[in-house]
Amino acid sequence: MPEAVDMINLGFLSESEQELILEVLRRDEELRQAEELRVRKLKTELLDVKRKGAKRGSGRYSQHSCGRCQEPLSRLTVFSSQCKMCNHYVCRNCRTVLPKGSWLCSVCAKESDVKKRTGDWFYDQRVTRFSTLATHDLVRASLKKRPQLKKRETAGELLLRSTEIIPDSPTPKPRTKQNHLSRANEDPSTENSESIASRESFESKDSVWPHLTRSDTESAENSSITSSKTETESSRVTPEQPRREDHSVQSSSAESGVSSSTFPVKADIVPEVKLDSSSLDLDVDRLFKKSIKRDPRPSECVSTLDLHNGQNTSGASMGNRSHSVPGLDIQEDGEEEEDIDSLVNFHKRKMVSSSSSLHSSKSTLGSLMSLYSEAGDFDSVEVSGEVVFSMSYNERTQSLQVFIEECHGLACGDTTRQLSNPYVKCYLLPDKSRQSKRKTSIKKNTVNPVYKETLKYSINRSQLYTRSVLISVWHYGRFSRNAFLGELEIPLDCQDLNSPQMERMALMSKAASALPTSAFSHYKGDLVISLKYVTPKKATPEKVKGKKAVTEEGGELHVLIKEAKNLMAMKPGDTSDSFVKGYLFPITAKTTKKKTPVVKKNLNPHYDHTFVYKQLALEQLKEMCLELTVWDKEAMSSNEFLGGVRLSSGEGSIKIGKEEVAMDSVGEEVSLWQKMMQYPDSWAEGTLPLRSTMKAEGK
Amino acid sequence: MTDGDYDYLIKLLALGDSGVGKTTFLYRYTDNKFNPKFITTVYTASNPNGTTTGKTFKVHLQLWDTAGQERFRSLTTAFFRDAMGFLLMFDLTSQQSFLNVRNWMSQLQANAYCENPDIVLVGNKADLADQREVQEKQAKELADKYGIPYFETSAATGAEVDKAVITLLDLVMKRMEQCVDKPPAEPANGNGATKLADGQSNEKKCAC
Repeated sequence: MPEAVDMINLGFLSESEQELILEVLRRDEELRQAEELRVRKLKTELLDVKRKGAKRGSGRYSQHSCGRCQEPLSRLTVFSSQCKMCNHYVCRNCRTVLPKGSWLCSVCAKESDVKKRTGDWFYDQRVTRFSTLATHDLVRASLKKRPQLKKRETAGELLLRSTEIIPDSPTPKPRTKQNHLSRANEDPSTENSESIASRESFESKDSVWPHLTRSDTESAENSSITSSKTETESSRVTPEQPRREDHSVQSSSAESGVSSSTFPVKADIVPEVKLDSSSLDLDVDRLFKKSIKRDPRPSECVSTLDLHNGQNTSGASMGNRSHSVPGLDIQEDGEEEEDIDSLVNFHKRKMVSSSSSLHSSKSTLGSLMSLYSEAGDFDSVEVSGEVVFSMSYNERTQSLQVFIEECHGLACGDTTRQLSNPYVKCYLLPDKSRQSKRKTSIKKNTVNPVYKETLKYSINRSQLYTRSVLISVWHYGRFSRNAFLGELEIPLDCQDLNSPQMERMALMSKAASALPTSAFSHYKGDLVISLKYVTPKKATPEKVKGKKAVTEEGGELHVLIKEAKNLMAMKPGDTSDSFVKGYLFPITAKTTKKKTPVVKKNLNPHYDHTFVYKQLALEQLKEMCLELTVWDKEAMSSNEFLGGVRLSSGEGSIKIGKEEVAMDSVGEEVSLWQKMMQYPDSWAEGTLPLRSTMKAEGK
Repeated sequence: MTDGDYDYLIKLLALGDSGVGKTTFLYRYTDNKFNPKFITTVYTASNPNGTTTGKTFKVHLQLWDTAGQERFRSLTTAFFRDAMGFLLMFDLTSQQSFLNVRNWMSQLQANAYCENPDIVLVGNKADLADQREVQEKQAKELADKYGIPYFETSAATGAEVDKAVITLLDLVMKRMEQCVDKPPAEPANGNGATKLADGQSNEKKCAC
């Protein structure tokens, strides 16, 4: 996993190396800006197409009118005119025919196209994978003004931003001198600022590496001569000659950190591809079927994004827009909240994409939360009955599947007419937003409905442990409010998702359903940290003799406390003065207690403080447990506990003082700890949800 | 500098041990023409049946070169997640660089945008036949194990260089099509429509 810390810390590079990398990054940024413009244009186009006329979720539309232009459809065409993606019935004019004879409605086709052109197909997948990665969060902090760009963040962008803050960033002076020199040696026809930059990055690399004694100018001259030679040489030269050149450039490339260039693609590819494409394709298909088939859950990753943080970045909405743009919402179940939701969503989307609207992630989250309302009557009926369901996790599709089999003995939602039109609604808590909502169909006039429906959530397995599933049953009141028929909440941390079993659980009323809560059930905010195990340096014998008698035998554990997010406010004015305290168990000596400085009046404090635990062997860490707790500093009384995390391998127990404490780390706490051990000398970074209590749970 | 006059931006990244020839390879591919005005090319997309549709796109190919040396590892791996496809290179004249392919693969699996990104295995320096340490069969077996294409190239003579890049580009473009063209298997409201989509998801579609 790429870590933001690594990106920020370029200290291990020499100044000239840093300079090279920065050069590359700046070039990359220029490209990126052009790309951003292009993407924005494409997304605006899509929006236009969508607005042009689509069925809205609020209205009732006949199946016999086109879902796009709303022209009436002839009776005969209805059966064959449903768009595969959005399930709307559309007329011939609103279709885009695909090469293989299938077709999509114009909006879906445009959507697919835009997804490809903007690279969103890629970024969506990436977001899913690195959603817990704090680089995003890091960026979010600095990008608050443009949250919708978060998804498209590149490592280069991050690095560039972070390095430009470094005070001793390279001065441009020597650079221009070099430019001048290389220009003198190069063919003027291929010349412009860009080409200098890329050429130069190779040249100056050369100067650093094998020819340390040479001056920059010499090597610059030399290598540009070499390369121009390569240019003029045709393929009939003896292998000997180019090989030598290879080596000079290779060794230089080895020295560069990352050098990127957008290369011109050979012009002669065009005919080649055309000639080869059939054979090439056959080749690829035959040989590498595996790589083609193993396409990972492409479409599902989209909604996962929403589950993670409930934000509505435009990137996210690009993904699941078909659900929240009213016209594309296939579900027209007439529930009151739907329309408000979709309208507000629609409106929000317009704001986000038309210009950089300024809502921070937090306020977006807040507004989503408030959007979700339990529209309906809670106490009109006496709760009764039970739900039969099962839950499992599908590793292949990376999704949680809640299978709703049936309900028995439900109460009557419509008391006057003594009937119920029940449906089951599901949330993956703590996300109570619309993105987390799943519903079954509505069964008419029964108190023993049979659904046999599967509700799916795309989510990483490691995140499940902090979630719980809220299943509620509602009566669908066609002309009245929906009535609440009962609910139950199942925390996932003690649920066996590998071997699903049908469960039969009684429904509870609103208040009673609160189950014994796990440490994670109350959201206390997140802690962003990085861990690194530094392997012991093998000191050479002379050094040991010359210096201390004590040789450093163990490695070090570095714990970088980066920041906390969404902490609880403890002080008047909705703030907290927080600090982080760390213990490494089972060592109880005072030396393992570390504290960060206090960051005042901030619920999203940046600590950027590193705890270093010395003299540790890698094997020891398996048996150890790192506890980090966040506290609100109180001047006069004892500090207030804000939350904590416990990092360990998640198995066994350790003695803390006299007590035997289980290493009850879960999810990300375990995976981060393991990653740290697995990749020594590199930072493992993660965003961990804070526990509301550090008490080990008696399971 | 660029006017955004292209249809797709595809980012590829070359990785592999130090000295296997990543930079020369890319150099060779781009033919030393560093003129950014030529960054776009016409890429003919082909559908899975192996016939070209005749519709052409402009693909802006961005190639990232990385350092092979261990001391830059943390930096280079950070860039893995930005790439859509990977040229995993080793030196045919160095057994060690071949052995390290495994490590690079696991680095990729851990750091790339997904767990099984599109990769092409490239054995470089094929022209140095007398110094060869890695046999084609060996490398082919490894590539088959990972289910990725394998090419023996020579940045010195230019042999197979283009083919390797084009194959990778093809794979990425195919992945893109598949990602996009599948009907949403999971609507956010997740009711009956889920079933509908499931039935269709096996069907591959191509929008090119």
